[in-house]
Amino acid sequence: MNSLRIARAALRARPAALRMPLQRRTYAEAATDKIKLSLALPHQSIYKSQDVVQVNIPAESGEMGVLANHVPSIEQLKPGLVEIVEEAGSSKQFFLSGGFAIVQPNSVMSINAVEGYPLEDFSADAVRAQITEAQKVANGSGSEQDIAEAKIELEVLESLQAVLK
Amino acid sequence: MVFAWKSAGLTYNRYLAVAARAVRRSLKEDKRVAAERRGEMDLRFAKWSNGKQGEVKSLAEANAAITKEAAAGSS
Repeated sequence: MNSLRIARAALRARPAALRMPLQRRTYAEAATDKIKLSLALPHQSIYKSQDVVQVNIPAESGEMGVLANHVPSIEQLKPGLVEIVEEAGSSKQFFLSGGFAIVQPNSVMSINAVEGYPLEDFSADAVRAQITEAQKVANGSGSEQDIAEAKIELEVLESLQAVLK
Repeated sequence: MVFAWKSAGLTYNRYLAVAARAVRRSLKEDKRVAAERRGEMDLRFAKWSNGKQGEVKSLAEANAAITKEAAAGSS
Protein backbone atom coordinates (compact mmCIF):
# COMPACT_ATOMS: atom_id res chain seq x y z
CA MET A 1 0.00 0.00 0.00
CA ASN A 2 2.70 2.37 1.08
CA SER A 3 4.94 1.51 -1.85
CA LEU A 4 2.05 2.17 -4.22
CA ARG A 5 1.64 5.62 -2.79
CA ILE A 6 5.36 6.29 -3.16
CA ALA A 7 5.31 5.08 -6.78
CA ARG A 8 2.45 7.39 -7.58
CA ALA A 9 4.17 10.30 -5.90
CA ALA A 10 7.33 9.55 -7.88
CA LEU A 11 5.39 9.63 -11.15
CA ARG A 12 3.94 12.96 -10.29
CA ALA A 13 7.28 14.39 -9.18
CA ARG A 14 9.12 13.28 -12.32
CA PRO A 15 8.52 16.19 -14.69
CA ALA A 16 9.85 18.59 -12.07
CA ALA A 17 12.88 16.39 -11.39
CA LEU A 18 13.77 16.19 -15.08
CA ARG A 19 13.96 19.94 -15.36
CA MET A 20 16.61 20.07 -12.61
CA PRO A 21 20.31 19.64 -13.41
CA LEU A 22 21.24 15.95 -13.18
CA GLN A 23 24.06 16.30 -10.64
CA ARG A 24 21.94 18.03 -8.07
CA ARG A 25 21.36 15.92 -4.97
CA THR A 26 17.87 16.17 -3.58
CA TYR A 27 17.14 15.81 0.12
CA ALA A 28 15.77 12.28 -0.38
CA GLU A 29 19.02 11.09 -1.98
CA ALA A 30 21.22 12.75 0.59
CA ALA A 31 19.23 11.26 3.44
CA THR A 32 19.57 7.63 2.33
CA ASP A 33 22.94 7.15 4.03
CA LYS A 34 21.53 8.19 7.41
CA ILE A 35 19.62 6.31 10.07
CA LYS A 36 16.62 7.89 11.71
CA LEU A 37 17.32 7.04 15.33
CA SER A 38 14.96 7.17 18.27
CA LEU A 39 16.49 6.36 21.64
CA ALA A 40 13.74 6.32 24.22
CA LEU A 41 13.59 5.74 27.97
CA PRO A 42 10.29 5.56 29.86
CA HIS A 43 10.88 9.05 31.24
CA GLN A 44 12.83 10.78 28.47
CA SER A 45 13.63 10.55 24.79
CA ILE A 46 17.31 11.13 24.14
CA TYR A 47 16.99 10.97 20.32
CA LYS A 48 13.74 11.69 18.57
CA SER A 49 13.94 10.37 15.01
CA GLN A 50 17.22 12.19 14.46
CA ASP A 51 19.52 11.50 11.51
CA VAL A 52 22.71 9.69 12.55
CA VAL A 53 25.40 7.87 10.59
CA GLN A 54 26.07 4.75 12.63
CA VAL A 55 24.87 3.09 15.83
CA ASN A 56 26.91 0.46 17.68
CA ILE A 57 24.89 -1.68 20.07
CA PRO A 58 25.74 -4.45 22.56
CA ALA A 59 23.22 -7.09 21.44
CA GLU A 60 22.84 -10.42 23.24
CA SER A 61 23.95 -12.04 19.97
CA GLY A 62 27.13 -9.94 19.94
CA GLU A 63 28.34 -6.38 19.44
CA MET A 64 26.98 -4.95 16.22
CA GLY A 65 27.21 -1.77 14.22
CA VAL A 66 24.18 -0.55 12.33
CA LEU A 67 24.48 1.63 9.24
CA ALA A 68 21.79 2.88 6.89
CA ASN A 69 19.82 0.26 4.91
CA HIS A 70 20.51 -2.41 7.51
CA VAL A 71 18.47 -5.61 7.41
CA PRO A 72 15.36 -5.20 9.58
CA SER A 73 15.99 -6.95 12.88
CA ILE A 74 15.08 -7.05 16.55
CA GLU A 75 17.93 -7.37 19.03
CA GLN A 76 17.84 -7.81 22.79
CA LEU A 77 20.43 -5.56 24.37
CA LYS A 78 22.88 -6.45 27.10
CA PRO A 79 23.58 -3.81 29.72
CA GLY A 80 26.31 -1.91 27.94
CA LEU A 81 27.55 0.98 25.91
CA VAL A 82 25.67 2.29 22.90
CA GLU A 83 27.76 4.44 20.60
CA ILE A 84 26.13 6.83 18.19
CA VAL A 85 28.10 8.42 15.36
CA GLU A 86 26.34 11.64 14.49
CA GLU A 87 26.20 13.49 11.18
CA ALA A 88 29.06 15.83 12.04
CA GLY A 89 31.31 12.82 12.66
CA SER A 90 31.36 13.24 16.42
CA SER A 91 30.21 10.27 18.48
CA LYS A 92 28.19 10.04 21.67
CA GLN A 93 28.19 7.20 24.17
CA PHE A 94 25.39 6.14 26.48
CA PHE A 95 25.34 3.31 28.97
CA LEU A 96 21.98 1.55 28.76
CA SER A 97 20.66 -0.86 31.37
CA GLY A 98 19.26 -3.28 28.80
CA GLY A 99 16.29 -3.28 26.48
CA PHE A 100 15.61 -3.74 22.80
CA ALA A 101 16.89 -2.31 19.55
CA ILE A 102 14.61 -2.52 16.55
CA VAL A 103 15.88 -1.88 13.05
CA GLN A 104 12.97 -1.17 10.76
CA PRO A 105 13.02 -0.99 6.97
CA ASN A 106 13.87 2.40 5.39
CA SER A 107 16.75 3.01 7.87
CA VAL A 108 14.54 3.66 10.85
CA MET A 109 15.90 2.47 14.18
CA SER A 110 14.45 2.59 17.65
CA ILE A 111 16.20 1.68 20.87
CA ASN A 112 14.20 1.22 24.05
CA ALA A 113 15.82 0.92 27.45
CA VAL A 114 14.88 1.45 31.07
CA GLU A 115 17.83 3.63 32.10
CA GLY A 116 20.46 5.32 29.98
CA TYR A 117 23.08 7.92 30.86
CA PRO A 118 26.19 9.38 29.25
CA LEU A 119 29.40 8.00 30.74
CA GLU A 120 30.36 11.18 32.58
CA ASP A 121 27.29 10.83 34.81
CA PHE A 122 28.64 7.65 36.45
CA SER A 123 30.78 7.47 39.54
CA ALA A 124 33.52 4.84 39.45
CA ASP A 125 33.54 4.72 43.26
CA ALA A 126 29.83 3.88 43.43
CA VAL A 127 30.36 1.09 40.90
CA ARG A 128 33.28 -0.37 42.86
CA ALA A 129 31.33 -0.27 46.13
CA GLN A 130 28.35 -2.02 44.54
CA ILE A 131 30.52 -4.75 43.01
CA THR A 132 31.88 -5.67 46.46
CA GLU A 133 28.36 -5.68 47.83
CA ALA A 134 26.93 -7.79 44.98
CA GLN A 135 29.80 -10.28 45.15
CA LYS A 136 29.08 -10.81 48.83
CA VAL A 137 25.45 -11.63 48.08
CA ALA A 138 26.27 -13.76 45.02
CA ASN A 139 28.67 -15.95 47.03
CA GLY A 140 26.54 -15.87 50.17
CA SER A 141 23.86 -18.28 51.33
CA GLY A 142 20.81 -16.22 50.34
CA SER A 143 17.84 -17.57 48.38
CA GLU A 144 18.23 -18.64 44.76
CA GLN A 145 16.44 -15.43 43.71
CA ASP A 146 18.72 -13.15 45.74
CA ILE A 147 21.78 -14.80 44.21
CA ALA A 148 20.31 -14.49 40.70
CA GLU A 149 19.60 -10.79 41.26
CA ALA A 150 23.12 -10.20 42.58
CA LYS A 151 24.50 -11.89 39.46
CA ILE A 152 22.43 -9.58 37.24
CA GLU A 153 23.84 -6.60 39.16
CA LEU A 154 27.36 -7.95 38.71
CA GLU A 155 26.79 -8.27 34.97
CA VAL A 156 25.70 -4.63 34.79
CA LEU A 157 28.41 -3.30 37.09
CA GLU A 158 31.28 -5.19 35.48
CA SER A 159 30.19 -3.97 32.06
CA LEU A 160 30.01 -0.45 33.45
CA GLN A 161 33.41 -0.70 35.13
CA ALA A 162 34.98 -1.94 31.90
CA VAL A 163 33.78 1.09 29.93
CA LEU A 164 34.54 3.63 32.66
CA LYS A 165 38.27 2.87 32.56
CA MET B 1 19.66 -19.30 24.92
CA VAL B 2 18.86 -19.91 28.60
CA PHE B 3 19.66 -17.10 31.01
CA ALA B 4 20.74 -17.85 34.58
CA TRP B 5 18.09 -15.57 36.03
CA LYS B 6 15.41 -17.37 34.04
CA SER B 7 16.09 -20.67 35.82
CA ALA B 8 15.82 -18.86 39.17
CA GLY B 9 12.23 -18.02 38.21
CA LEU B 10 12.87 -14.34 37.46
CA THR B 11 10.90 -12.71 34.68
CA TYR B 12 12.44 -10.48 32.01
CA ASN B 13 10.61 -7.60 33.62
CA ARG B 14 12.31 -8.30 36.94
CA TYR B 15 15.67 -8.68 35.19
CA LEU B 16 15.27 -5.23 33.63
CA ALA B 17 14.21 -3.70 36.94
CA VAL B 18 17.28 -5.10 38.73
CA ALA B 19 19.62 -3.98 35.94
CA ALA B 20 18.09 -0.49 35.92
CA ARG B 21 18.43 -0.28 39.71
CA ALA B 22 22.14 -1.07 39.47
CA VAL B 23 22.59 1.62 36.81
CA ARG B 24 20.76 4.21 38.92
CA ARG B 25 22.86 3.42 41.98
CA SER B 26 26.04 3.90 39.94
CA LEU B 27 25.26 7.50 39.08
CA LYS B 28 26.96 10.51 40.60
CA GLU B 29 25.32 11.83 43.74
CA ASP B 30 23.10 14.59 42.28
CA LYS B 31 21.77 12.52 39.38
CA ARG B 32 21.33 9.45 41.58
CA VAL B 33 18.95 11.14 44.00
CA ALA B 34 16.71 12.28 41.16
CA ALA B 35 16.87 8.93 39.36
CA GLU B 36 16.29 6.62 42.32
CA ARG B 37 12.80 7.96 42.83
CA ARG B 38 11.88 6.30 39.54
CA GLY B 39 12.68 2.87 40.96
CA GLU B 40 10.20 3.10 43.78
CA MET B 41 7.10 0.99 43.48
CA ASP B 42 4.47 0.40 46.11
CA LEU B 43 1.36 -1.22 44.71
CA ARG B 44 -1.21 -3.09 46.71
CA PHE B 45 -4.04 -5.25 45.50
CA ALA B 46 -7.00 -7.19 46.85
CA LYS B 47 -9.11 -9.90 45.36
CA TRP B 48 -12.83 -9.27 45.47
CA SER B 49 -15.23 -12.19 45.68
CA ASN B 50 -18.98 -12.24 46.34
CA GLY B 51 -19.02 -8.48 46.69
CA LYS B 52 -16.47 -8.51 49.51
CA GLN B 53 -12.93 -7.25 49.45
CA GLY B 54 -10.32 -9.85 50.32
CA GLU B 55 -7.01 -9.36 52.08
CA VAL B 56 -4.92 -6.42 50.80
CA LYS B 57 -1.48 -7.64 49.72
CA SER B 58 1.67 -5.98 48.49
CA LEU B 59 2.30 -6.63 44.79
CA ALA B 60 6.07 -6.83 45.28
CA GLU B 61 5.73 -9.54 47.94
CA ALA B 62 3.21 -11.49 45.88
CA ASN B 63 5.55 -11.33 42.87
CA ALA B 64 8.48 -12.59 44.94
CA ALA B 65 6.38 -15.54 46.12
CA ILE B 66 5.36 -16.40 42.55
CA THR B 67 9.01 -16.18 41.45
CA LYS B 68 10.00 -18.74 44.11
CA GLU B 69 7.20 -21.05 43.00
CA ALA B 70 8.22 -20.73 39.36
CA ALA B 71 11.82 -21.65 40.25
CA ALA B 72 10.68 -24.65 42.31
CA GLY B 73 8.39 -25.78 39.50
CA SER B 74 11.03 -25.59 36.77
CA SER B 75 13.89 -27.28 38.63
